[in-house]
Amino acid sequence: MITRKALPRRTFLRGIGTAAIGLPFLDAMSPAMAATTKSPVRMAFFYVPNGMIMDAWNPSYEGAFQELPRTLKPLEPFKDDMLQIGNLTHNTGRALLDGAGDHGRCSGSYLTGIQVKKSLVEIKNGISFDQIVANEIGKQTRFPSLELGMEDARQAGDCDSGYSCAYTNNLAWRSETQPLPPTLDPRALFERMFGSGQPMTPAERARQSKYRRSILDYVTDDTHKLETSLGPTDRRKLDEYLSSIREVERQIERAEKDNQQIDPHMDKPYGVPADFAEHFRMMSNMVAIAFQADQTRIVTFLMTREGSSRPYRELGIPDGHHPLTHHRNQAELMEKVRVINQYHVQQFASIVEKLKSTKEGDGTLLDNSMLVYGAGLSDPNAHLHEDLPTIIVGKGGNYFKTGRRVLARRETPMCNLFLTMMDRMGLHVENFGDSTGRLDGLDLA
Amino acid sequence: MQFGRGKPSAGAFYDSDFTTIDEVLAVGLLNGLQGKNDCRVAIVTMSRPNLAVCGYIDMVERYYRGSAGNFAQVPPIGMRTTGQPGETSAAFTVPFASKKRVNPVKTVIDTGDPNTLFRNYLQAQYDQNGFFILAGPATNLAAALEFRGMKELIAAKMKYLVAALPERNIKADVAAAKKVLAEWPTPVYVVGEDIGTAIEFPGASIDKEFAANSPENPFSDAYKAYKPMPYNAPSWAMAATLYAGRPKEGYFKASEPGTITVRDDGKLGFTASAQGRHQMLSVDPAQKDKVLQAYIDLTSAKPVFPQRFRPPVADDKKADDKKSDVKKIIEEKPQ
Repeated sequence: MITRKALPRRTFLRGIGTAAIGLPFLDAMSPAMAATTKSPVRMAFFYVPNGMIMDAWNPSYEGAFQELPRTLKPLEPFKDDMLQIGNLTHNTGRALLDGAGDHGRCSGSYLTGIQVKKSLVEIKNGISFDQIVANEIGKQTRFPSLELGMEDARQAGDCDSGYSCAYTNNLAWRSETQPLPPTLDPRALFERMFGSGQPMTPAERARQSKYRRSILDYVTDDTHKLETSLGPTDRRKLDEYLSSIREVERQIERAEKDNQQIDPHMDKPYGVPADFAEHFRMMSNMVAIAFQADQTRIVTFLMTREGSSRPYRELGIPDGHHPLTHHRNQAELMEKVRVINQYHVQQFASIVEKLKSTKEGDGTLLDNSMLVYGAGLSDPNAHLHEDLPTIIVGKGGNYFKTGRRVLARRETPMCNLFLTMMDRMGLHVENFGDSTGRLDGLDLA
Repeated sequence: MQFGRGKPSAGAFYDSDFTTIDEVLAVGLLNGLQGKNDCRVAIVTMSRPNLAVCGYIDMVERYYRGSAGNFAQVPPIGMRTTGQPGETSAAFTVPFASKKRVNPVKTVIDTGDPNTLFRNYLQAQYDQNGFFILAGPATNLAAALEFRGMKELIAAKMKYLVAALPERNIKADVAAAKKVLAEWPTPVYVVGEDIGTAIEFPGASIDKEFAANSPENPFSDAYKAYKPMPYNAPSWAMAATLYAGRPKEGYFKASEPGTITVRDDGKLGFTASAQGRHQMLSVDPAQKDKVLQAYIDLTSAKPVFPQRFRPPVADDKKADDKKSDVKKIIEEKPQ
């Protein structure tokens, strides 16, 4: 008779101070001979600003992927895990009598499907659908959701023609008046994830830094105890997992060191690296760890804020992103935007690779995820809110039939996709935002 | 879309099954009215699932809208996807023999859902600054009344509905006609059987005014392919469109207010009442030539591409630019 007691799913390695490290799914967490435990489905949104040059985003065909268009090329190794959806529309991003301000509207309404109030002080949006899901399933994980960003977390001021920065700098909204500002600083995210749930105080951080201790050092005893009860497969899995945490920690330390040396006036938190790709890699690695350890199942990630005028000198582009997108069909400017568009996708591909290489159950972490990558505008020169660039990477728990491009009818609300995704997250909602129904034809059936 | 320049001309919503050449010409007339700043064409929708017909109408719309530019969308034609596709007249296919014309509709993906389009484009109108034209069976409009929050949105945004309801249109969907007349939340003006036959569009104008004013127009080929020439076309849809765009022009006589009902045999009944929201339109013999001239001039006019900034409507300059709380309307009406 088999009597082995299963390790609880929500086991933490705890140690001195506030360290608390969640664990990935281990074989020891499944009772022997029990039916395979169903892995949870995770969802994440990776938002890029200022639309796309659509001729490099949309392939000329529908159905199974053949040659990927230029912007999506970095995802070539993962095209069998990817679903591209065309023709989704956010009508609430359009002017609808509110005049200029497409950037403020399109990001504000991206996950809410609500026409935001044009104001600098009287902020009014709606609850975003990720938070509806978080309210329902968030109690099953350490963090109901994680909100991440890379550029600008200002919550006040005019970011677009009378629209508050609250609309351009947040994707997630807890209520119609309360956005959830993204965490920009990898150090703050790290400490939140592997500490008490809150960033350390300056004194705590200084103490840890002084002794150059890794977060893993604090949980050594617990780790050793756990290892003795694990089989060889689980031990290897645990070792890889803890190594990935240590690697992120090292990246943060390097960034902090570099920041002290090269950029004392940088308008960023202490731990934010100057390099865009490095910053993204650190943040997205932690997303992967958070998903792997089931610390959260919901992430929103503002890769850069809507309307961003960030230059991309690392690509030889000193011009601001936003001004470039008003290209007036000038070939030279359009080409620079294509390069930026592809660069963003290239960064995104790194987390796809990470999730795909992480085993979970009989498949991979990517199989149980829905990573939506997209923008709130399509053609930025015309400020169009239809045919929004949208891909889903991952099968959402063996649901999405990937490896193809599907086209919805023109003007199909983006919120229809959100209803479908809510279904996948175990939440059945009849209407959301301006939805008109669920998005058909995405599944394996 | 207007940007801070006062109230624009009224947004026009046109729905038809496009089974007669009159219903096709009315799209040209509507765009002619737009060219004179009497209205802005919001969307055109179709109440039968016929891709060939939809493709032709889409091509006509693009002829008038030009290509999409800054801040301007070319909306799809809304097409019902259930029911019977019906016949496809040569009027809808022959015009594509010209290589200059491209059919933009290949599959249903290239069309839009009528209710979604109604909702999206109603939200873009100022309060009481739009009108519907029904020029076919009332199927789409009846369905719209069942859509979440739509009735309230129509009441907020639309001034009136002008419905071309000859027996043919009523009999195609009696239940829908009954529902629309009973539940439509704005004043309704009805073009009955008599107007269409009393004032016929003169087919001779195709080779005269149309050829002279807009040789590239998409109607001449269609008109000639629809029936052997020469023929004149009854004008229920054109009459409804002309009245909708220029209600104060005196083209037609409007009855006293009352209630119009639909009988099971497809005939209309009218009961006068001061509180009634319905009015019947009828021919004013003194205006017949003026009506015919408007038909020809407006339908054969060259396209005037929509501009980002258009002057406000002359007689509405002082009107309040009111805007309803659309979110509230949608959210408070569960489906």
